[in-house]
Amino acid sequence: MRFDASKLLFLDGAMGTMLQRGGMKPGELPELLNLNNPALLEGIHRQYIEAGSQVIYANTFGANSRRLRRTEHTVAEVVAAGVTAAKRAAEGTEVLVALDIGPLGELLEPMGTLTFEEAYEQFAEIVRAGAGAGADLAVIETMTDLYEAKAALLAVKENSSLPCMVTMSFDETGRTFTGCTVASMARTLEGLGADAIGLNCSLGPKQVLPLLRELCENTRLPVIAKPNAGLPDPVDGHYDLTPTEFAEAMAEAVKAGVSMVGGCCGTDPDYIRALHEAVRTMTPGERHYKPCGFVCTPTMPVRLDGVRVIGERINPTGKKRFQQALLENDLDYIVDVAVAQMDAGAAILDVNVGHPGVDEVTMLPRVVKKLQEAIDLPLQLDSSNPDALEAGLRVYNGKPAVNSVNGKPEVLARILPMVRKYGAAVVGLTLDDDGLPDSADKRVAIAERIVEAAGQHGIPREDVWIDCLTLTVSAQQEQAEETLTAVRRVTHELGLHTVLGVSNISFGLPNRPLLTQTFLIRAIGSGLTLPIINPNQKEMMDAVAACRVLSGEDVESRGYVARFAGQQQEAPKPAGASLTLDEAIIRGLRGEAGKLAKEALTTEDELALVEKHLIPALDRVGEDYEKGVVFLPQLLSAAQAAQSVFDVVRASLAEKGGAPEKKGRLLIATVQGDIHDIGKNIVRTVLENYGYDVLDLGRDVPPETILRAVTEQGIRLVGLSALMTTTLPAMEETIRQLHTLPEPPVIMVGGAVVTPEYARQMGADYYSKDARQSVEIARKVLG
Amino acid sequence: MATIDLDEALRYLGVRSDPDGTMRGRMAELAEELQERIAPRYALRVATLTRNDAGMRLEGAGVILPGRLAQTMLADCGHAAILVCTLGAAFDAWMRTMQVRDMANAVMLDALGSAWVETGCDEAEKELAGRFPGMHLTDRFSPGYGDLPLSLQPDILAATDAARRLGVQATESCLLIPQKTVTAVIGIADRPQRARIRGCAHCPMRGECDYRKGGTSCEV
Repeated sequence: MRFDASKLLFLDGAMGTMLQRGGMKPGELPELLNLNNPALLEGIHRQYIEAGSQVIYANTFGANSRRLRRTEHTVAEVVAAGVTAAKRAAEGTEVLVALDIGPLGELLEPMGTLTFEEAYEQFAEIVRAGAGAGADLAVIETMTDLYEAKAALLAVKENSSLPCMVTMSFDETGRTFTGCTVASMARTLEGLGADAIGLNCSLGPKQVLPLLRELCENTRLPVIAKPNAGLPDPVDGHYDLTPTEFAEAMAEAVKAGVSMVGGCCGTDPDYIRALHEAVRTMTPGERHYKPCGFVCTPTMPVRLDGVRVIGERINPTGKKRFQQALLENDLDYIVDVAVAQMDAGAAILDVNVGHPGVDEVTMLPRVVKKLQEAIDLPLQLDSSNPDALEAGLRVYNGKPAVNSVNGKPEVLARILPMVRKYGAAVVGLTLDDDGLPDSADKRVAIAERIVEAAGQHGIPREDVWIDCLTLTVSAQQEQAEETLTAVRRVTHELGLHTVLGVSNISFGLPNRPLLTQTFLIRAIGSGLTLPIINPNQKEMMDAVAACRVLSGEDVESRGYVARFAGQQQEAPKPAGASLTLDEAIIRGLRGEAGKLAKEALTTEDELALVEKHLIPALDRVGEDYEKGVVFLPQLLSAAQAAQSVFDVVRASLAEKGGAPEKKGRLLIATVQGDIHDIGKNIVRTVLENYGYDVLDLGRDVPPETILRAVTEQGIRLVGLSALMTTTLPAMEETIRQLHTLPEPPVIMVGGAVVTPEYARQMGADYYSKDARQSVEIARKVLG
Repeated sequence: MATIDLDEALRYLGVRSDPDGTMRGRMAELAEELQERIAPRYALRVATLTRNDAGMRLEGAGVILPGRLAQTMLADCGHAAILVCTLGAAFDAWMRTMQVRDMANAVMLDALGSAWVETGCDEAEKELAGRFPGMHLTDRFSPGYGDLPLSLQPDILAATDAARRLGVQATESCLLIPQKTVTAVIGIADRPQRARIRGCAHCPMRGECDYRKGGTSCEV
């Protein structure tokens, strides 16, 4: 079955409202009525059918294992009963029964603690039950988290052959509660294979109209509108539209191109009847879909309507420090690299974690998850390992890009199906079995073959980005022009976006930045939209800023002015000349501290730098903090300045093939059930900058995980934090379990609700009032 | 237009003296950005109060407030409102980025967020007061104060439909997500209500408060 965007299809109205009228008690689980009172449900469905609904939603919205856990019933039972009741009501009609899938009621990472994979499993259970009970289609609705919607959609597609509608809830700012934009939602879900998409709940039909228009411009799929009966009163919760007013407002949505209509909260069969009356003779308005190059995260849609810089720094090739981070599982380092590129103006980040000794298939998805916790830039997954790519694509939240395919038939056959399945964009390198072509003609021919193969797999042209390949000009001088010609022809003749790793051009020549910058400017002039560069290189980003002014993309040169107007004033640094390393740390001047550390290393060794400057300086700030002369932000600024000194030390040691001497290892964690971890993160920042090797297990950590880490890694000091009284028992339990070890570690505890007495009662060895005290404790225990 | 109370944010951060205004200056800049990027949102529900053995009952809302605090606070009240106010998921996302970028700024932002969500509660209270002219509101009080249990959170969220209206959820251990979310109860009485929550005498921290040790108070 396929939905037809040119024909109206009538959905139903609210279920909850109807159940309350039918006598459901507050606090009762609505889905249990499927078993206890199926006649009530059948009756409600019938009323909607009589009012004109052609699709009815079975009463399975909240029938998931979490909600049913406290009942005696299984998901399979409750879902089957719900679908059966709806099917009975639809018997003898052409009305379709939808398996209704709502949010799980538990937030996914990183907001909550439910993993993507766990969410998928819960949805899969519902889907198998619904398909088994004979639902005609699946509806995923009221989603506010695009990640959760993706988990549900994948579950439908991989566990059934049901067509699938997906609707999400937006507020008047045009975003969902988790910040997802309409464009991100539309292009991600269409890419993932939804059959129709739209909006439900959250607002009334008048408020959703602009959002529906935006949606219609961002998808080829049929569009659904199932809004509330107006806006609720903030105090009493009543909705403000009558059935007639609702229907009139919905007619506007139909004119805008919406073809599937119904109602959500506050609507009942009268609303659906009025809606049916008002619009049934209408034809949905003509749609004006705008194809465009696009990648996104939920909160950051990136349209390729100008130059978009792809940051190249998440890549271990030739970077000792990065390699070390990968081998040590130090994902925080990778996040730091990402944030620096984001702040420098990258629009997309290339992510490559391929290195000998690293299992890319587990590392790539881990890094993807870690990055999307902290940054909202879209990612370009870069690997030659197809399994790693698939694992990364699966857990990516939004629409990513894949780097890369090329003209080799076996590569296209292996990679393009997963690009299609996960709705990604893909980079096509213009090389094939004959190797790297030496002319623009051959590059263009390969590009044509790639885009054709992509088309055969159902990947639209705008999602194919061609890399015409930069060769080193000192080795193959004539190739520079060929590359530029190919960029121009792929852009203008094929109408495709081009990607180019620019910095290759200047290998082996002096003043590389000038050469690279000149090549970049010429490539942009030839039509390049996606330069892959190091955004931390000022010359490159300056050139991009200038090109944006000349192309008119930077309207009124605002971006350019903002970038350069302030630069003259940066110069004065009163204390700069006489500033010592110790002072730079104490005053929390990160950049200065790093520079001074580099200078110091010309006369002192790494150890002396740490022992004679870094630690004494931190101690002085720590003492001032204890006296109440400086406060937490200043303590942390100093710690961060110390961090930049440490980075210099680490880089210097890595160059010599060594690693910094660590003072001793300790483990920290926020206990199970607790998700507030800023306190623990503060402690980590400070301890690390005193040179301790901190194993941070994160938040919501079960006692067993802590126990295992302590045993396996021979940890001697454990720090536990808890913020709420409700999670103190988990702290106590963790301590109890740690005490069952033959040689229990020393335990320090802290957090808003922990007191010295309570720490003693629980059997902790130390109560740590703040980050500063944890350093004292670490010194006592680890030296 | 309400703004963030910088004094309150400085208090949350534990800044007890800031003679040259360094801290205030750093905070003010960040406060401005916070106000520009995020507005607090809230939902209220007003219900008739009845009393039974289990506690104070908000009729039709599925919420029963057990314990002495609720009994004392709501002694004169025929109605009560429950309030949920949040800065939303955007604040949490910002905090995650900020903790990577600059931990010092992150702790300041955290304190500002706490102050900002309290401002949101003040706004909600104003709206509530406007709906009940001539009536008097009690201090607002929250689960976790005195003997009002945190286990009420799920019921409070359900009663205000906060998951759908605000995107707020409670975890199994009754923590609220997004992190800068406040739930509270406000009594509505027909006679003036004296302050019972604010001031050292009512504060659960009075035994171990750094301000009191230093001979001052946090002035709440």
